[in-house]
Amino acid sequence: MTKEEFIAELAEEMEIETTVTAETNFQELDEWDSMGMMVLIGFVSEKFEVSLNAEDIAKLTTFESLIDKIGVDKFS
Amino acid sequence: MGCKISAIEYCFPETKVTNQDLKKEFPDYDFLNFEKKVGIYARYIVKNNETGFNLARAASLKLFERGVDKNQIDYILYCTQSPEYLLPTTACILQDELGLRKGIGALDFNLGCSGYTYGLSMGKALIESKQAKNVLLVTTETYSKFIHPGDRTNRSIFGDAATATLIVESEEDNIGNFVFGTDGSGYDKLIVKNGASKHKYDKNCLVKEYGTDNKYTDNHLYMNGPEVFNFTSSVIPNFTKEILAKNFIDKESISQFIFHQANAFMLNFMRKRLKITEEKFYINLKDGGNTVSNTIPIALKQYSQNINKSEDIILVGFGVGLSWSGGLIKISNAL
Repeated sequence: MTKEEFIAELAEEMEIETTVTAETNFQELDEWDSMGMMVLIGFVSEKFEVSLNAEDIAKLTTFESLIDKIGVDKFS
Repeated sequence: MGCKISAIEYCFPETKVTNQDLKKEFPDYDFLNFEKKVGIYARYIVKNNETGFNLARAASLKLFERGVDKNQIDYILYCTQSPEYLLPTTACILQDELGLRKGIGALDFNLGCSGYTYGLSMGKALIESKQAKNVLLVTTETYSKFIHPGDRTNRSIFGDAATATLIVESEEDNIGNFVFGTDGSGYDKLIVKNGASKHKYDKNCLVKEYGTDNKYTDNHLYMNGPEVFNFTSSVIPNFTKEILAKNFIDKESISQFIFHQANAFMLNFMRKRLKITEEKFYINLKDGGNTVSNTIPIALKQYSQNINKSEDIILVGFGVGLSWSGGLIKISNAL
């Protein structure tokens, strides 16, 4: 999966209505609530077998920061 | 000689709180999306002067109304985290209130979402070891009393309820093997900190925020949603496979998987991990929400209404503790 595909699929899972890029900050999104976080944790766990805890979630800024957390080497 | 579940009754409190009701208090929140994802439309909560005991009494009386002979009951297992008092044991009060015989056993056990499956395994153990013949297993919970009024997330998710299950000695061996798991390192992921022995109730407690604008104090229920989700999604799918193995049965032979009804999104997540079809996996928490130890017996009763031949059912409870347990049962008629 490329970074772009990942961002697009995650945005769809989270049902984000605005256009998002690697630079989009989660805090700016209306969809970034406890449910959005749950969807994100589920998606990342399913695709990459990476478990994000509450602290990881609190530290997230942009989609790029999430990609860094998962590990850039996991993307093609 | 084995044992089986012969009847289940449940009851909700009268006061119904719908998503529209909550929307009036939290106008900025998208409750339509909540309903779609989490699967809850309404929950029921007790009034101030009502307790879990009142609900437990009502659920037990329903059993007697349908013909269960109360004089046959020789053991009460009472699962709650909302006891009447710190002491005495609420099960003792229930014995008297229901007019049960004095020559019976009665105990409370403090477990949340894993409580019902624990109760079934204890009931089975009491019957198979010839210490009892008719066990009344009660679950009752009123988390609404612990939740801060400004805690939108927990108010949306949790509801109050009680259930009463009769486990009886029988020719059939319908309660199979149960498996357990415990991880106390996660004790503070779902907790009411104040009010018991370690920390007194503090009337000047600081109001804190967590998650997305949810308010709580240490006197109230706190849930670390992401951690609970991670625990569940990482532990429960493999644990379910363990239950199957312990009962020497394969996934395909199971008619229905009934997990603790925590939240529809999380349940579907686990269902997909386990590669179970939607038809074989029970999800129904629209009316009632997450009622802690009550969700499994409520779901089991609802599901059993269409049973007309013997079915193998897997039950799995998981949550506060952290604690999890599950096992195999056979049901052949409506409970």
